[in-house]
Amino acid sequence: MLQRPRFQMAAKALILLALALFLYMRLADGSLFFYINQRFMVYTVLAIVGLVAVAISYRAGRVAVDEDAHSHHAVTWGGLALVLLPVVLGVLAPPQPLGAAAIGNREIAVSSQPRNVLPAAVRAAAQKDATERNLLDWLNAFSASSNAAQEFAGQPVDVIGFVYHDERLADDEVLISRFIVSCCVADANVVTMVVRWPAAATLENDAWVQVQGVLQPGAFNGAPLPVIAAQNVTPVAMPDQPYLYP
Amino acid sequence: MIMERPEATPDVAAAPLPNPRVRWLRWALTVLLAAAALTALFYDAFVHGDGLPYLYQRIQTFVTIFLGIFIEATPFLLAGAIVSGLIAVFVDQSAIDHYLPKAALPGALIGGVMGIVFPVCECGVVPVVRRLYEKGLPLSIGIAFLLAAPVINPVVILSTYSAFGWGPIFIGRIVFSFLIAVVVGLIFSRARPEEVLLPAVCQAHHDACCHVHDHDHRLHHAPLNRRVAQAFMLAGDDFLDMARYLIAGSMLAAAMQTLVPQSALLAVGQGSVISVVMMQALAFVLSVCSTVDAFLALAFTGAFTTGAVLAFLVFGPMVDIKSSLMFLGVFQRRAVAYLIALPLVLSLLMGVWWNLNLGW
Repeated sequence: MLQRPRFQMAAKALILLALALFLYMRLADGSLFFYINQRFMVYTVLAIVGLVAVAISYRAGRVAVDEDAHSHHAVTWGGLALVLLPVVLGVLAPPQPLGAAAIGNREIAVSSQPRNVLPAAVRAAAQKDATERNLLDWLNAFSASSNAAQEFAGQPVDVIGFVYHDERLADDEVLISRFIVSCCVADANVVTMVVRWPAAATLENDAWVQVQGVLQPGAFNGAPLPVIAAQNVTPVAMPDQPYLYP
Repeated sequence: MIMERPEATPDVAAAPLPNPRVRWLRWALTVLLAAAALTALFYDAFVHGDGLPYLYQRIQTFVTIFLGIFIEATPFLLAGAIVSGLIAVFVDQSAIDHYLPKAALPGALIGGVMGIVFPVCECGVVPVVRRLYEKGLPLSIGIAFLLAAPVINPVVILSTYSAFGWGPIFIGRIVFSFLIAVVVGLIFSRARPEEVLLPAVCQAHHDACCHVHDHDHRLHHAPLNRRVAQAFMLAGDDFLDMARYLIAGSMLAAAMQTLVPQSALLAVGQGSVISVVMMQALAFVLSVCSTVDAFLALAFTGAFTTGAVLAFLVFGPMVDIKSSLMFLGVFQRRAVAYLIALPLVLSLLMGVWWNLNLGW
């Protein structure tokens, strides 16, 4: 059946349209940002336009090349089904950003580790008000200091992130984290701060919380670092853009 | 104009007829790999004690990373496919014969800098190279272009500069990417096109004497809009064809990212040889787009030797899981193996040399 050029062309056009529709739906409900950096959204928009244009050309071009519309790299049914796989998987698995399950597999950038950061990012972080800084800003600010644990003690903190319980923590401690995505989730890294809160054990992995408190000297995995002594831990909805962009 | 091709292979992947034993082996290998991946997933899930919910989260993570790579790469693959379609319709085969050098060394040198004119990343470059090969591009130019273009192009040069500034890593990345691409291009120039390219790609090389099938889709007397429509149709064919490899590659990369903990790779940061190997492995597994890998590499500069970071930046854009699968749509398997192995070895040598001699 697929050998019949018209039929094959219709199938190809439909698959291209399905991909475009899939991308459009992810764009429309905002779940596109679960996958890529906001900066790349414009390319996705262009891709939708391009896919539709290419799909339409199958209709327009049909007249021109009806008889010899063989393609050089004829695609089989299996091949076409494979191209639909992202759409199928995307429909079957509800869109969900990376969360606690992905942390175990990644390098965790806790402020105790040496991090190389663009000087511009450090400056930008330093210019922000303490309570305006997000997790990434804080880690950038810490990275410029050789003794962050002491230097930042006493500063007020107000950050949002999701909860992750690490085995290396005490019972009244929990990690609050966000993923940083520079391109797509394949390059996601975690930025994390330790939160000290008496009821930490009641928090569930992956729950989004707003933490307000004060920085104190502390330690994680034996290395000194500033930890948040929480005064308030409030459950919040997941932000529209769950990741932070460097 | 367009004539029926004499030896059309129905499926690109199945180039020469594989004998039953090879086919059986291939199936067995696929099943084994799938079983190993599943076992790893389940084993892990039940060792962690959370059982099914944990497994479900694992699968979610896999789907998210897979779709992330795919959605990120789609626009660039489509752009490459459209350029390829336009080349097919509007570029004359004789122009390539006429303007591009036939000799290996000048060809490889030109291929190495062609990315400045065709700014494509590692996803977009593959369909463009395939189309150019169909138009009779010499092997060495195409290989050098394929390997160098993801780094030697304005966008990536700029992003590397903004991450590392004017310094050894910035200069080293450009110089070594260019050198390695040219060297690999030169090595490939020793081979005959039909040994390297898939049969469907290389027939323009076949018979320079008697053009049975001038593989151009020039509708010489057709009006412009019809020719553009034709170019877009070819772009659609190219896109669908290459998307299969992109999807298979993204799935592999996502599976590796879900199953292999990064800490296993990052534990060894300092050995002057092992650190380079590890960063190459990381670059291969991560399959990050070359436009942003500089920012990613920046995070490793403290923990890893400079040679290792450089190897990440030079090797990663040339070869990673998704691009090496896409190579299968253009080259024969043996050639793909060389295309992975040669940059691997050369960038390893480069990284180790850098660590031992410069030691910054």
